[in-house]
Order: sequence, then structure tokens, then C-alpha cells
Amino acid sequence: MYLVAHIDQAICSETACRLCTQYCPEANTILYDNAAKTAFVAVDRCKGCEICVGICDDLAKHHAIKMIMITDLQDTFELSKEGFRPETWTGKHP
Amino acid sequence: MSLKNMTITPGWEKYMTKEYIDLVERGPYGKQKKVSEMGSFKEVLEEHPMCAGCAMTLFIRLTMVGLPNPEHTILIGTAGCGRLALTQTSIPFIYGNYGDTNAVASGLKRGLEVRFKDQAKDVVVMAGDGGLADIGFSAVMHSWFRKERFTTIMLDNEVYGNTGGQESGMTERGALLKMAPKGKLFDKMDMMGLAQTSGVAYIARLTPTNPTRVASVVRKAVMIAREVGPTFIQAYTSCNIEYAIPTPKVLDDARDIESKRYGFMEIISDEAKAYLDSIDTAKKAKKE
Repeated sequence: MYLVAHIDQAICSETACRLCTQYCPEANTILYDNAAKTAFVAVDRCKGCEICVGICDDLAKHHAIKMIMITDLQDTFELSKEGFRPETWTGKHP
Repeated sequence: MSLKNMTITPGWEKYMTKEYIDLVERGPYGKQKKVSEMGSFKEVLEEHPMCAGCAMTLFIRLTMVGLPNPEHTILIGTAGCGRLALTQTSIPFIYGNYGDTNAVASGLKRGLEVRFKDQAKDVVVMAGDGGLADIGFSAVMHSWFRKERFTTIMLDNEVYGNTGGQESGMTERGALLKMAPKGKLFDKMDMMGLAQTSGVAYIARLTPTNPTRVASVVRKAVMIAREVGPTFIQAYTSCNIEYAIPTPKVLDDARDIESKRYGFMEIISDEAKAYLDSIDTAKKAKKE
């Protein structure tokens, strides 16, 4: 099993920093839901490098991202299954 | 390539992959996307096999956002890590033989200028420090001497990362690597100085610690290459494998190296500066 980044949306939606979306080395992996004002992770693309955790903790100081075992996550978002459809996101991804 | 070539012929949508449809409908085409919009538009870079937490990947991703017209751009690369991601973009990629990237780019750019008189086509060479400063050195220098109008971007990871860690001309003196067990005996090549001597119109050195800056530097370099002359970007993109940097520390390392010896530097010729100013004035006039 492996770790993936998980964003606490309650904390993230309080801010509008978007830094993790800019510093993630993988394309379209940390996505941004403009309606719910929060970032979320496409778990099928996350390689578990933890760069976003450092950015959120040290640069943004929001402490919203943790590394979590993929098996401990429910209702995850997978880009390969759902495609890139921002109009369908609207806050329903954990 | 142009946007017209990319759009799907009516009736064929059901045969195209999800990713392709998303790219055409929600991609960065038509309007220049900002770094702050990342995560809410489909990027030209797709999934790729580069290592987790690679700074080079981050730099390439930001470069793709910075390109002024991705639909009118052609990338040229060569053997090395960068091509693993560059080939996974929706931008045509030419795999030059080791050493001839800038020679290929020269011919291509001249050909495009003849073929497409009304549409600016951008040629961007993106290769590693080995590909440009060691093996491709003479082609790089001569393309600069001839004032060929394209952008050269060096992904400087200071090692031959793909082949097991040999020292390159861009490795720092004293660096210990798997294939340089005594430490490198010579100084890092001064490509910035060489570029300046050769009369490159726009030269920049940076690290991927500031995403907005990466995108804006790339945009400037590509725009200047269209009208003025050769441009060169040297980017520190550490190899976390060969330099044994734990992935959560990759950006800390980049910040550290940036403060010690890789600070942001921009050398811009008068002609290039005048051109950039003219673009700004035109933009402002358009707004008003």
C-alpha cells in the first residue's frame, strides 16, 4: 500500500492560497474546485512526493495536507475515471 | 500544428480519449493562462514516467503554462530525463540526436518562417545540462553566434541523471557522485557568461521556487526569440535521486541552492528590452 496526499477541505476552503496546485510536479493532480473554493487530489496521479505537504505547512502555514494510506480514503477522485470536468466537481470530492 | 488541427472533426468525438476531449475543450488554448489558475484548466502536460518529486518535472510543468502559444510551438529535446515528460505533452516534440538539438532547431525555425509567414511559430529546445553544455555544446554556441531565433532552455540537474550519475560540465566542483567518486575536479561551466559573450538577447537563470516567475521568464524568452534573437534560460532542476535529496525536501534544497549560488538573474539586451516595452505599451493601449 502507499501514501497519497489528502487535503482537509474545511481548512483549505477558508483560504485562497492555491500554492499546492502550483508547486505539485505532476500535471492536473492537485485540482482546484472554484465553486467550493478548495483544492483536492486526483489520487490516481499522486506519486506521494510530499512536496505539497511542505508547501502547505511551511510556506502557506495552513497545515491542511497530510499523507494518508490510499486504503484509508473513501470516495476518492480519480482523474482517469472521471475526466477533467470542473462543472461536475462543486464540492463533492473528499 | 495549430488549434484547427487539434479540434475534433464533428462525429468523431466518441472515438477520442477522455483526455484529448478535455484538452481541446478545457485546455490552455486561445487565452494565456496564469499560474494562479493551475488546477482549474486542463494542462498540456499529461501523466509521465518521471520520478516522484522531481524538480525538473515541476519546472517543465510551469514552462508549459508559460508558453505564449502552445498550439504554435514545437519542442526539441534529446536523450535525458526531460524528454520523458516533454514527450507526454500535446506539443509536437522532436527527439534530436544527442548533440544536434540546436542545429535541428535552427533549420526548423528557418523553415517555419518561410512556410508560415503570417503566423509566428515558436521553437523551444529543452534539454539537460549534458545535452546542451557537454555533448551539444558546439551546436548551442553556433546557434547563438548565428543569432538563430529560438529559445534554449537548459534543465540543469548538474549530473547525468539518466545514466547513473556521471559528472557533467555543469556539475559543481567537488561534487561527489556515483560515477565521480573522487569528486569533480573542475569548476562548473559558466554558460551564462558564454551566452552573454555570444550576444544572446535574453538570458535568465532561475530555480523553480517561484512558479509565477518561471512562467513569466519563459513567456519573455519565447516572445523575444520570435522577434529579436536567441534566448537562453538556465534552470536549476535538482536530481533528487543522484543527489539523494528526500522528496519532501526538494524545494528546500532548491531554495537553499538559490540563496547560495543560483540566485535569479536576468540579462537582457537593449533591443530585447525595447521589444518587451513595445508589447506592454500595445497591451495597455488595447485595454484602454
